[in-house]
Amino acid sequence: MSPTKLGFGILWPAFWTGLPFKLALAVLFMAFGIMHFENRIALAFVMLLASPVTVFAVPTVTLAVGSNIGEGSGIALLFLLAIPIDIWSLGIVGRTFFLERLQREPPGGLGLTLWWKCALVGAIYVPILWVAQGVITEAAISGAYSILEADVLRGIPVAEGISIKLTLWSTVATVALLVLLVIGFSLVGRMIRRTVQTAGHAPENYQGLIVRWDLMRVPLDQGWMLTALSGAAVVLSVLFWFSLPVFTPHPHDCCTKPEVMAEPPFKPIEILNKNEKMIARLAAQVELLVEQRAKSELEKEQSKGKGKEGTETVEAPNATKPAAPTAVNQ
Amino acid sequence: MQPQLKSKVRCLDREVGEVSRVIMDPLSHEVSHLVVSMNGAGERQVPMGAVQVVTDDLVQLRTSSSEVMGMQPFNREDYVTLHEVEIPGLEKHIHVTPGEVLVPFPELERNVKRRAFFANLTYVTGLFIGLPLVYPVMKFLMKPMYAPLDNGWLKVGNIGKIKTEDAGIQFQYKRKIKEVYMPEAEIEKNVWLVKATPAVLEKVYQGKNMEFLDSSGRAIWTNKKDMPYLAFSGKCPHLGCAYKWRKHKVLGQVFLCPCHLSIYDASGRVLDGPAPRPLDLLPIQVTAGGEVQIIDMEFKAGTKSQTRIV
Amino acid sequence: MSDIPTAGEQPTVAEKIFTFVDERVGLKLLAAKMLNESVPGGSRWAYVFGSILLFIFIMQAITGVLLMFYYVPTADHAYASTQYILHDVDYGWFLLSYHFWGSTAMVVCVFAHMSQVFLWGAYKKPRELIWLVGLALFALVMGFGFTGYLLPWDQRAYWATTVGVEIMDKMPVLGDFLARFLKGGPTPGQMTLSRFFVIHVMVLPAALIALAGLHLFLFRCAGPAGPFRGAPAELKAKTDYFFPRQIWKDVVGMAVVFACISAMAFWEPVVLLEEATPDPGDYHPEPEWYFLFIFQHLRLKMFSGELGQFLGSMGLPGLLGVMLVLLPFFDRNPERNIFKRPFALIGWVMLTASILLFTVSAIINRDFLD
Repeated sequence: MSPTKLGFGILWPAFWTGLPFKLALAVLFMAFGIMHFENRIALAFVMLLASPVTVFAVPTVTLAVGSNIGEGSGIALLFLLAIPIDIWSLGIVGRTFFLERLQREPPGGLGLTLWWKCALVGAIYVPILWVAQGVITEAAISGAYSILEADVLRGIPVAEGISIKLTLWSTVATVALLVLLVIGFSLVGRMIRRTVQTAGHAPENYQGLIVRWDLMRVPLDQGWMLTALSGAAVVLSVLFWFSLPVFTPHPHDCCTKPEVMAEPPFKPIEILNKNEKMIARLAAQVELLVEQRAKSELEKEQSKGKGKEGTETVEAPNATKPAAPTAVNQ
Repeated sequence: MQPQLKSKVRCLDREVGEVSRVIMDPLSHEVSHLVVSMNGAGERQVPMGAVQVVTDDLVQLRTSSSEVMGMQPFNREDYVTLHEVEIPGLEKHIHVTPGEVLVPFPELERNVKRRAFFANLTYVTGLFIGLPLVYPVMKFLMKPMYAPLDNGWLKVGNIGKIKTEDAGIQFQYKRKIKEVYMPEAEIEKNVWLVKATPAVLEKVYQGKNMEFLDSSGRAIWTNKKDMPYLAFSGKCPHLGCAYKWRKHKVLGQVFLCPCHLSIYDASGRVLDGPAPRPLDLLPIQVTAGGEVQIIDMEFKAGTKSQTRIV
Repeated sequence: MSDIPTAGEQPTVAEKIFTFVDERVGLKLLAAKMLNESVPGGSRWAYVFGSILLFIFIMQAITGVLLMFYYVPTADHAYASTQYILHDVDYGWFLLSYHFWGSTAMVVCVFAHMSQVFLWGAYKKPRELIWLVGLALFALVMGFGFTGYLLPWDQRAYWATTVGVEIMDKMPVLGDFLARFLKGGPTPGQMTLSRFFVIHVMVLPAALIALAGLHLFLFRCAGPAGPFRGAPAELKAKTDYFFPRQIWKDVVGMAVVFACISAMAFWEPVVLLEEATPDPGDYHPEPEWYFLFIFQHLRLKMFSGELGQFLGSMGLPGLLGVMLVLLPFFDRNPERNIFKRPFALIGWVMLTASILLFTVSAIINRDFLD
């Protein structure tokens, strides 16, 4: 079997086998807000899908090449958690492949063996692929632009020009990507080939092999496994309920929620003292008012008696009004 | 023909038993094996390759009875009945039961003409239910589609605002709209007024008064060709955007629509861009005191011919 | 399935209920017939897209009904009620965003399902009727997307719909009638919103359920086509039943799609533009992304003018639709292996590539609209 077929035949099913578990974690991390993606979400998805080969390449690409797929500590955590998932999925896919397609006995610890081989190849090759693809794509784009800048083609209207340019450079970029991918799968296949060659021959006939890998998927203790999975579903759901933002993370200008201000500290003794003092002050002022009132009544009677010419002393009650009490809660 | 259940099975030397079951291949839909009940000595699974000829009640094998005894014993657990599995189309290819299982055919149903009559009568009766509904439902759905047009005059402003000739001046006005049961709303509209010189008027009217007709062909209003004020509908005839009066670096002062860059001159003629026809003119009156009145009309966008829709 | 209790054991309550129903309905046999459909060549991940579509539809129906608890389909309240869902109802933003991205997922999976059926040659005899009903379902899905898009009544919704209906107006003979019917009048307004709402929540779902049921029934009559290559012995060795293996794969597919749609809801929650106004102002109308490739056609000079706009927007796609309808009738070669059907393979690649190219071109063109 050619190394490319070998590499692809093992990697492709392994990618998709691990994906549901990785996606569940990814959704949870997004709900928690520890992971954010912008325009490169599709690229992030591909990197996650291919985590058996990209797990050690993503840091290289992010740091050395300087392009990131998203922000947040959740990304690193996700790739870390992807490692046991990938070991498991490579194990199950590897054993299936060995039995059905190669008719060989899968050796013990196949998952771990396949995993480190894939991760190693990926750690070296994926950054190379990334850089090469980037260079080729940029060259193709500028090539396409310069072709259309040529005098002959100057008059092409905008919409047609866009489509022609896009077709030109995307064809080149796609072909380049396919070639680079085939090389990548072939490299993985070559790494795996030694494991294949050292494996013994599986004794069963075709139907026997099919039955064997099919039944391999049924756990010995079904109850335990199903209970564990159900428990995991419950735990993840509760975490999800807890982490899901109640209101939209991207509010419209019309309806932003008001800033919630922290309530000031509540000091009961101080407030009681303040109130006491204020009450005493007010009581004193009321007394004063009453006195003044009584005095003015008296004066009025006297002035009435004196005659009609007395200028009215207009009481200015405001002058003696106590200062308005300041708010209790500051 | 396919071997029948219960038919006798004969080998080269003697009769060995009868066909107790038939096994079919789910892919090819053909009988693949017979299960022969060996007269009390168990059941054997006999491939169809060993069958020489099949008749109504006899299956003749081309092997000896001892060979048949040596064939694979039948294991019921390796198989399921057709009741327990869905294999599309398999029933059509089975003809292994001898004879038929029958139920009585009612006397009343034997008359074909009677059956046909009642069937057709059902359809006709259905016509009495369905047909009356067709017209009302159609009209129901079509109610708002062809609403009558409003030909009221609206005041938009005073000509005192127009200081230059052959230049576009925007008059904004409010119009009260009552859409079916919705509360009355006021929408903002605008028209572009141009005080045209005789040269521009000539381009617009080409020597003829412009008549506005209603749906039955009667004239609502006529714009006289020598009346210098032109009112253009504020909606671009391309797709209905609001256009502006701007200075273009090559073409001078023009009407320019920002949506798809249609360009018109002061007479409304298309200079550039995807506009299918010139700017739409509206009926216009100017009172003695200079009050400008127009009839607010809207025309279908994107067509070469001018069709009024509002 | 043998549910025969061993002699001497008392049947449990569940078993008693089951036997009660089984005596009257024939439940055991019915369940066996329904679930034990053999899939030649075994259950495959490639076959999951049909069930995934059913799942997405059910999720859309559920989230749609939930949205209807708060959404009001009138021109004066549609925008405000949608904003209310987005900003004030607990997790309303998530359910609306899930509904929005679910419609995208539906279109993507419809394309995947149609492609899988096409590449596997599963439209050929005896499956022509399933293919035709499937095409009708595809049209319904597009109708769902088009009608649902208007409901928030913001600038994007209003103008995408206006442009779309105006394009339909360009159809010769029937165009004006159809456009007025959809708009409920000469110009878009309350009548348009009412009609689109009824079509979106009653007419289309009823039609979809009926046609989907027919699609499934026809599929059971003809049986799964299975893989397009493989020796009969291989196929026989791997054959298993629809239940539980294929159903299990379908459910895993559904879980993956569920996770993807949720992730999209987090990545880009729905945000409305300003409320719809009769003047587009600076806003450049654009339809949903799955109509963008047709929208881009209209910008090409070869499709300018009234007839050109009709050809580019409805004529060409219509022609493609007619070709798809006639496909099982002029491709009568029983060969189903895609690698032995070069025209089919090249045709599919070219169509997919050109749809992709025009969609991306429309996105790039946004920067050139002045």
